Amino acid sequence: MILHRLFTLGLILLLLAGCGGDAEDEEKQIVFAVGGAPSEIDFWEALIDEFSTEYQIDVSIVRQPTDTDQRRQGLVVSLKARDDDPDVFLMDVAWLAQIAASGWLEPLNTETDRIKTEAFFENILNLADRYNGKLMALPVYVDGGVLYYRMDLLEEIGVKNPPGTWQELIEYSQKVLDIKREDNPDFYGFVWQGAQYEGLICNFLEFASSNNGGFIFEGDSLRLNIPENVEALRMMHDIIHEHKISPPNTYTEFTEEEVRLFFQNGNALFERNWPYAWNLHQSPKSPVKDKIGIDVLPHFEGGESISTLGGWHIGISVYSDVKSEARRFVEYVTSYETQKRLALNLGWNPGRKDVYSDSEVLERLPHFAELRDVFENAYPRPTRPYYSQMSAILQKHLNSALAGEVNPEAALEAAETEIQDIINRYR
Amino acid sequence: MKRIFSKDILKSYAFLLPFAFFIIAFILIPVIGAIINSFYQDVTFKAREFIQFENYTSLFQDSGFWQSLRFSLWFVLVSVPFELLLGMIFALLLNQIRKFRGLIWAAVLIPWAIPSAISARTWELIYNYNYGLANYALSAIGITQEPVNWLGTSIGAFISVVIADAWKTAPFITIILLAGLQGIPDDLYRQSRIDGANFVQGFRKITLPLLKPVIVVALLFRTIDALRVFDVIYVLTGGGPGGATTSLSIFGYNYYINGDFGYGSAVSVVLFAIAFGLSVLYVKMSRFKTGIR
Repeated sequence: MILHRLFTLGLILLLLAGCGGDAEDEEKQIVFAVGGAPSEIDFWEALIDEFSTEYQIDVSIVRQPTDTDQRRQGLVVSLKARDDDPDVFLMDVAWLAQIAASGWLEPLNTETDRIKTEAFFENILNLADRYNGKLMALPVYVDGGVLYYRMDLLEEIGVKNPPGTWQELIEYSQKVLDIKREDNPDFYGFVWQGAQYEGLICNFLEFASSNNGGFIFEGDSLRLNIPENVEALRMMHDIIHEHKISPPNTYTEFTEEEVRLFFQNGNALFERNWPYAWNLHQSPKSPVKDKIGIDVLPHFEGGESISTLGGWHIGISVYSDVKSEARRFVEYVTSYETQKRLALNLGWNPGRKDVYSDSEVLERLPHFAELRDVFENAYPRPTRPYYSQMSAILQKHLNSALAGEVNPEAALEAAETEIQDIINRYR
Repeated sequence: MKRIFSKDILKSYAFLLPFAFFIIAFILIPVIGAIINSFYQDVTFKAREFIQFENYTSLFQDSGFWQSLRFSLWFVLVSVPFELLLGMIFALLLNQIRKFRGLIWAAVLIPWAIPSAISARTWELIYNYNYGLANYALSAIGITQEPVNWLGTSIGAFISVVIADAWKTAPFITIILLAGLQGIPDDLYRQSRIDGANFVQGFRKITLPLLKPVIVVALLFRTIDALRVFDVIYVLTGGGPGGATTSLSIFGYNYYINGDFGYGSAVSVVLFAIAFGLSVLYVKMSRFKTGIR
């Protein structure tokens, strides 16, 4: 009996000890959650070192994966648990709305924070960073789909300008394929992101909105199965299966990096990718170095070129224990100087519009002139807090249409019905 | 009353306590939590709200749910027997080996020891359209002219996932069955040979019946594992093409990471109910009480 009691007591004590609070004498430190390729993390580490010496505020980095969903998952777990770390984090524009609507972001006070909103892209701030009229986040870098093309190969078929329409893109591809296939059976005309993931939505929206389609909302009722979208999706399918200018595994394996490597190894004439690919294509060992051009994406007859808006935004956790220090850090990251270095060191596209007119930047990165136009006309994804669920459903149906398992109308009809269920559930 | 607190029994309770603690803390409480949660609308961007069975009614009208349920059941039906067959063949062969037995057994266990995420990445490379080993090998021996897009069709992706899963888990069955085979006395086989039984008769009349309890244990483990398959699919196909290889776990997981904990919990509860029902069925089938004594 005594043994039994003693044992229970011991176990309870053990449990209580385990639940004891952490030491409180920890000095104030900003915890910054950021992910991405090693070169990105290196950049951030160098940046926080400088910030720390300048402001005497300690910053530590929580390394997140590259994958956007995993990065979001890491943040949602901490924020839902009301953890006071991380204090500052980067958010993908695709799920920024979810974080903001969950009440997890500390509003950025534009008056005391010395943040000049007019230096940023107004359309992007309105679409992504303002929630209920308050500025919740700021773009650190922005993204939009662009078309890369091989100037040398277009010259071979006597074409001077990159294609304006999708039809031209198909024509040029076929002409070049006729020449190139003989010595390179793995050569294709156009590579893009067709695997079942968020990138597929971005690509679809670019096809669809360049045909005056896209997500059509009337209040809370959504229309997807419209002729413009059907035509766009059929075009994506036909590019793979009918015209055969895109690899057959486009819809299973092609995400950003697969596409970039395919093009960079000299195996494609056109590439749809984000602007990050430019510097990598132009790196010293790249087989396509100095053979490529960059332009806005093609469009349908009667439509205009549109890019899907991407990018990462910085915000402060509402549970942060070092909010005023965190504000200094956000100001530092979105300052003109830091944003300019982001462009020059990493080749990223700053969230600040004024950097795109900087003479030094334009000298080193002349394509920034075109990019500025791309971002001013970027097409947003719906900024609903449950966008991720909508996206998952649409990805699935788009992907089966690309696989040829259902026809485009049926895929869009099914997606429309299922997404409407989602909207009704969370309304 | 007195007997319960006799010294020996008390000691065994004391030894069981840590184990019971882990079961309660890491299994029972989360399961109950998930069941409670499944009656709420619990999304990050709205106040938590009690909605009774609404998650379940939506779930049963959700074509994505039925698709993933269908996939999971098919996956169990195809992969488990396939793995049992492979595992059995390996076990019978290995049981004959006398030399370097330890070494060969260890070699067989390697796929089982490799984390699924890593072995799935390996298989992803094998199935890769452009530079995968599968297409290279098939075209090298002249079976196919054009490369095959293994993961590009529903049926192709299904078979690919089953093969990758079988490669990893057949060794597990092999080891369990081997342990069972070791327990069958050689005398029985010798006797049957004297009586004129051939190999097939020996297998059917001696090996199978005596191995039955072990087979049931292996099947139980594998069925439940296959029902909630996640890692291999998450890495290999991500649930695609379309939703063709979305298992129930992947389906539920997608709701969790998208911030709908109530709906995700409802999926988990359904999965738990199916797995629980199957376990009960297996335990009944195995007639444990007579089988072990």
